[in-house]
Amino acid sequence: MDHDPFRWGRPNDQHYGQYNNAIANAAIKYKDGIVIAADNLGSYGSLARFTDVERLFPTGDNAVVGISGDISDLQYVSRLLDDLEIEHNYDSDGHQLKASHIHEYLQKVFYHRRSKMDPLWNSVIVAGLDDDKPFLKYVDLLGVTYSAPTLATGFGAYLAVPLLRKVVDKEEDVANVDEETATNAIRECMKVLYYRDARSLDKYTLVTISKTNGVKVEKNQQSKEQSWRFAKDIKGYGTQVV
Amino acid sequence: MVILSPTLQQVEYALEAIKQGSAVVGLATKEHAVLVALKRNAEELGSYQKKIIKVDENLGIALAGLAPDARVLSNFLREQAMSQRMIYNRALSVEKASNLLADKAQKNTQSYGGRPYGVGLLVVGYDETGAHLFEFQPSGSVLEYVGAAIGARSQAGRTYLERNFESYANATKEELIVHGLNALRDTLSQDKELNSKNTSIAIVGKDTDFTLWDDDDVQPWLNKLDSTSNARTSGGNNGGDDDNDDDDNNNDESGDKSETKPEEENSEDKMETD
Amino acid sequence: MTSVGTGYDLSNSVFSPDGRNFQVEYAAKAVENGGTSIGIKFKDGVVLAVEKIVTSKLLVPGKNNRIQTIGRHIGVTYSGLLPDGRHLVSRGRDEFQSFKDQYKDQISVPYLIDRLGNYVQAYTCYNSVRPFGITALFGGIDEDGPHLYMLEPSGVYWGYQGAATGKGRQSAKNELEKLDSNTLTAKEAVKEAARIIYLAHEDSKDKDFEIEISWVSTSETNGLHKPVPADLLKEAKEYAEQKLNEDEDDDEDENMAE
Repeated sequence: MDHDPFRWGRPNDQHYGQYNNAIANAAIKYKDGIVIAADNLGSYGSLARFTDVERLFPTGDNAVVGISGDISDLQYVSRLLDDLEIEHNYDSDGHQLKASHIHEYLQKVFYHRRSKMDPLWNSVIVAGLDDDKPFLKYVDLLGVTYSAPTLATGFGAYLAVPLLRKVVDKEEDVANVDEETATNAIRECMKVLYYRDARSLDKYTLVTISKTNGVKVEKNQQSKEQSWRFAKDIKGYGTQVV
Repeated sequence: MVILSPTLQQVEYALEAIKQGSAVVGLATKEHAVLVALKRNAEELGSYQKKIIKVDENLGIALAGLAPDARVLSNFLREQAMSQRMIYNRALSVEKASNLLADKAQKNTQSYGGRPYGVGLLVVGYDETGAHLFEFQPSGSVLEYVGAAIGARSQAGRTYLERNFESYANATKEELIVHGLNALRDTLSQDKELNSKNTSIAIVGKDTDFTLWDDDDVQPWLNKLDSTSNARTSGGNNGGDDDNDDDDNNNDESGDKSETKPEEENSEDKMETD
Repeated sequence: MTSVGTGYDLSNSVFSPDGRNFQVEYAAKAVENGGTSIGIKFKDGVVLAVEKIVTSKLLVPGKNNRIQTIGRHIGVTYSGLLPDGRHLVSRGRDEFQSFKDQYKDQISVPYLIDRLGNYVQAYTCYNSVRPFGITALFGGIDEDGPHLYMLEPSGVYWGYQGAATGKGRQSAKNELEKLDSNTLTAKEAVKEAARIIYLAHEDSKDKDFEIEISWVSTSETNGLHKPVPADLLKEAKEYAEQKLNEDEDDDEDENMAE
């Protein structure tokens, strides 16, 4: 562990590499379920190295796990989830692997690893339908968890959450939002994130979980109707001179 | 040593140890599961040996056979139940609990260095899929029943359950307990009767955490019975014989059974069983 | 068995003077009395079926499952000492998991059976253990297509087009030989499996039984091992009963003619 005050708690390149896949895990509850999206970018530092990374992992019958952060750790966590599902199926006792169970399990994994001083460098959103009620909860590399009707990781926490809160501010508001409104809000967030976050992509995966349609995965979604006219007004960055 | 000739003798003997223990009866509907047990005291002034052990809010067991073995197994189940709560924040499912016991017991039947467990268990609990009752045997066999009885003279209890299980399928928890006590009463020998000292009752089910009643709490339930002694044994024939019939729920499917010895209840020369 | 009672049958890992390991033979005996298990390979998969003798009317109908899964793509059923079967399956799952941890891929069926064959064989070699009292059927799909294997207490295993073990194996085998696994479809195979189990049960007709069927198929289950759907199971049972009655009628007709 590097105890340099300016580097403490930051990923060490030697251990974690430069792979980082910062943002754009945005999720929202609506009256019949949840909508979650994550873009397909795998960055190598500031290089947009991979553009086909899947970061949403349907697990069990009614849940999806969205992972951002270090990609090798992401792949490790996704294998844990696969193992979890296989082991769960061994108990053919009619019990469901619920989103809340998956979240609790991941929290234990992340907290255990941070206590070994060897954290998995990710932040995770677990979304699903538990007993027909929308479930949305966050867990990160420290094992910290919280729940809210709208959630986002990385840059999304600053850019997406305020937009999503315009649609659903408090838990009570969830009942007034339908799937279309929720989906549009998420799509709008993905677009704004692409505008404002340099480590993002306008290609993303969208997952909707609802009572009627179960887990619906839509891959290769493209942010549409982009307008970059505002770019000409941005001054003071990079090679631009006022 | 573990030998397969001509059958698993050690396991057969372990099954005998169960028959030495006093009887326990279990019943289940979709919503509730009940355990009733007959407790023994070694001497007049001694305390009665515990027959029913709570594992978790949703889970409990009753034992017939070697009580220390049952304690080892119930501690194991408690660990498993706690780890389910710790890791997944959920209750251990009854089927999974039973299968974990089965797999643990199987090991002792196939390799050197231990004897099989000398205890039979009735595992009851309530989970997502409703109330359940499983019978566990030292052979590593576990089966789900709507009614089961193990221990001394348990065949009589099973006979009662076989005659009545269709009628209690939709019973309330009160009715279910009374059925359980009736079945337990049928296992009694002539000189015995159910009383608040020797009877344990436990229930678990929908909106009902695992609850165990002993002593004075049992009396109100006994009051609901028309009689607390076994009317049928005085008549004589279909009550007590425990041999042969007992084998019908044996797990190993193999036809060749070793000869079952007539039971000697409460024989003081033998290893203490409960 | 000439050497019974000479002491050579009391310990595992010991040969009798005529070169037999009696413990293994006793294990095979345990299997011979178990409920019948069968496996049928068809065009794009395997179906497994097992006869479950109902030993008490207090048993909960439709529960107490006998067919288990290893990974997602391999089904297992067995006849004999059921707890030993669970032990073998649990070892199979460990093998699956360690292969997955090392290679990320799903273990192939032949490789899994080979590992388990060695494991079962080891239980015939030492006097600290006894052999497995089961014969197990494995049906699975991997990149080389469908596989059906049968593994015996000695550790020997062979691949099959159709396999049967347990009490009714002889009559089951007779029927299996008549099937053509190259043309059989998934649904036909399920129905034939039911029919054969019903037929194999004829010898112990006095006992009640349940039937459990599972399949793993490219076309029907996307290569995953699953219980067959309830409506198909019902259809298969009806088909089995009908076929059985027809046969009986035929027999009667013949008798009348004589």
